Amino acid sequence: MASSKKLISREEWEKRLNNVKIRKEDMNKLVMNFLVTEGNVEAAKKFRMESGTHHIDLATITDRMAVKKAAQCGNVKDAIEKINDLNPEILDTNPQLFFQLQQQRLIELIRNGKVEAALEFAQEELAPRAEENQSFLEELERTISLVAFEDTSNCPVGELLDISQRLKTASEVNAAVLTSQSNEKDPKLPSLLKMLIWAQNKLDKKAAYPCINDLSNARLEDPTF
Amino acid sequence: MNSSNSNSNNGQSNSCKSSNFDNLNQDLGLHFLELARIGSSKTPVEMEEDEEEAPKELNTINSSGGFLVVAPDKLSVKYTSVSLHGHDVGVVQADKPAPMRRLLYYFEIYVKDAGAKGQIAIGFTNEGFKMRRQPGWEVNSCGYHGDDGLLYRGQGKGDAFGPTYTTGDTVGGGINYASQEFFFTKNGAIVGTVSKEKEMKGHLFPTIAVHSQNEEVHVNFGQKKFAFDVKEYEAQERLKQQMTIEKISLPPNISYGLVRSYLLHYGYEDTLNSFDLASKSTIPPICIAQENGFDEQDVVYALNQRKTIRQLIRNGEIDAAMNKLRDWYPQIVQDDKSAACFLLHCQKFIELIRVGALEEAVKHGRIELYKFFGSAEADDPFDDLVQKCVALLAYERPQESPVGYLLEESHRDVVADTVNAMILSTNPKMKDVHGCIQSYLERLLRQLTACCLERSANGGQGETFHLHRLLNSSREI
Repeated sequence: MASSKKLISREEWEKRLNNVKIRKEDMNKLVMNFLVTEGNVEAAKKFRMESGTHHIDLATITDRMAVKKAAQCGNVKDAIEKINDLNPEILDTNPQLFFQLQQQRLIELIRNGKVEAALEFAQEELAPRAEENQSFLEELERTISLVAFEDTSNCPVGELLDISQRLKTASEVNAAVLTSQSNEKDPKLPSLLKMLIWAQNKLDKKAAYPCINDLSNARLEDPTF
Repeated sequence: MNSSNSNSNNGQSNSCKSSNFDNLNQDLGLHFLELARIGSSKTPVEMEEDEEEAPKELNTINSSGGFLVVAPDKLSVKYTSVSLHGHDVGVVQADKPAPMRRLLYYFEIYVKDAGAKGQIAIGFTNEGFKMRRQPGWEVNSCGYHGDDGLLYRGQGKGDAFGPTYTTGDTVGGGINYASQEFFFTKNGAIVGTVSKEKEMKGHLFPTIAVHSQNEEVHVNFGQKKFAFDVKEYEAQERLKQQMTIEKISLPPNISYGLVRSYLLHYGYEDTLNSFDLASKSTIPPICIAQENGFDEQDVVYALNQRKTIRQLIRNGEIDAAMNKLRDWYPQIVQDDKSAACFLLHCQKFIELIRVGALEEAVKHGRIELYKFFGSAEADDPFDDLVQKCVALLAYERPQESPVGYLLEESHRDVVADTVNAMILSTNPKMKDVHGCIQSYLERLLRQLTACCLERSANGGQGETFHLHRLLNSSREI
């Protein structure tokens, strides 16, 4: 163990913690940002009433959440319609996302056993796009291969049928809509938590000081050598 | 999770020892009085940190005087003598060391004349550097030399590094605190980077050197536009760092849990109910189970009452709030001189001024606030606040006065938070004062700030963290 580590006592560290100046309004903003980016409209509205924290038009969130919900439930056609109602440019400027949505639609058709419809859809909608793009082509081939298996739970591309695939798509749709509404697409709070872990790891190399190992209860552990 | 509607404990059946409670009362109250003071400064709170000074010009006092001449503007240097050996280098440092509390530092030189041999150098040296030697030839220094394009790091033999440079070239030197490296540029392009060795601790001075007849070098500490796009470089490095941070994995649903406990802590009951409802219907549903370590019992305590009183205070209905407190938590309003009572009385005063009832305000002040005036202690927070409140009377338009901040919603919030903390403190299960004042989220934010501060203050390990700045800039973290 390197003995050149600086030791900061608990007392000293707690003094420093108390000296940090954090405004209540800023913490409220962080929480509001979380509620909004996660799409929790009702909670955001209530929070505005109870805390007085403002945020830009909460109505836009409802629209975005409808899109996300549709995607999460696998109603891709519905999701696409809703996105285009909101802003047709989103999918125009995002061919990757559009392809992903179409791919999801194909997956849903296969999942529901509508093999003929699936193949027709693939030929009409996906193949033309895949011709222009190598990675689209690969994805298309992967997805189509699902029809070759009776028992999809064991096939190499079975993960496409997993709900996590839907959720991934839904999350990317959410992000694209958020970005187009010129909001930041990710809540800030998780990044701050990661930053805390990172800063503590870095500081560990130079100093022994009380650190927080369990984020969920923010308990300070005594410094150890 | 569904206990938010049950208010089984209304405080009157508590058996807290009164002296313990009073001490607690005192600590909590004083904490919030201090918070009320923060609200008075319009400048972002982080301005209280020392502003780090940056180099602006060359240091003429400690340069190797006999061999060179520094121009009157202190931004250029010329080697005047004829060099004979390795100990008559003309070295100049900047007037200040490179600032450390940032992602990187950078400066440039322009070679006006490479003179007889082009033995120019740019680099960094420490405070006690031997000013007749090239930067890099001694320990705790580094230098990129123009005549051979080598990088010298504390010994007479240099390492292959980059191209040579001569008359007409613009060469830059920088410190990247994020990656702990030195980096150098030539004519707007990066030449290379090298690790900032462990010996190079402490303050580092931007340094330039000239060593043969008629060499002349101009220096730029940022007063003019740099040839190298250092802002872009900084952005890229910051992005690299952010990407490293983003890769860190978090325990599942930790953010949900922390937001939830924040809402519980401050008594935002309606928000909490909506939040819980939505969590159940997401796909997949989010469960924040007890196993995650949330001590719910501590914070669900008196949720509905705390919410009720908060709403009353936020609406300026101080009398109603105090009545409720008398019913539910008489011990909080028992001691008329406690910080909680004081804040409430001040708030009542402020509310009367807000509606223009000045006579009533004065009457109220005479009954309740007079006792806080003229304390013997210097810098007494009670005295401070009461004076500021009374000052409101002097202005025709108090909201535009220097004490106008007292009329803002944020001040009502401080009072509401104080009362909230006091109620939480009546919970027999509440183990420590901290639990009443700071939510888990707040504690984590404080820890983050303190860690970054320690890293940046000691050895320039990076930027400090400022929540306020972060939330109010459009830049992504």
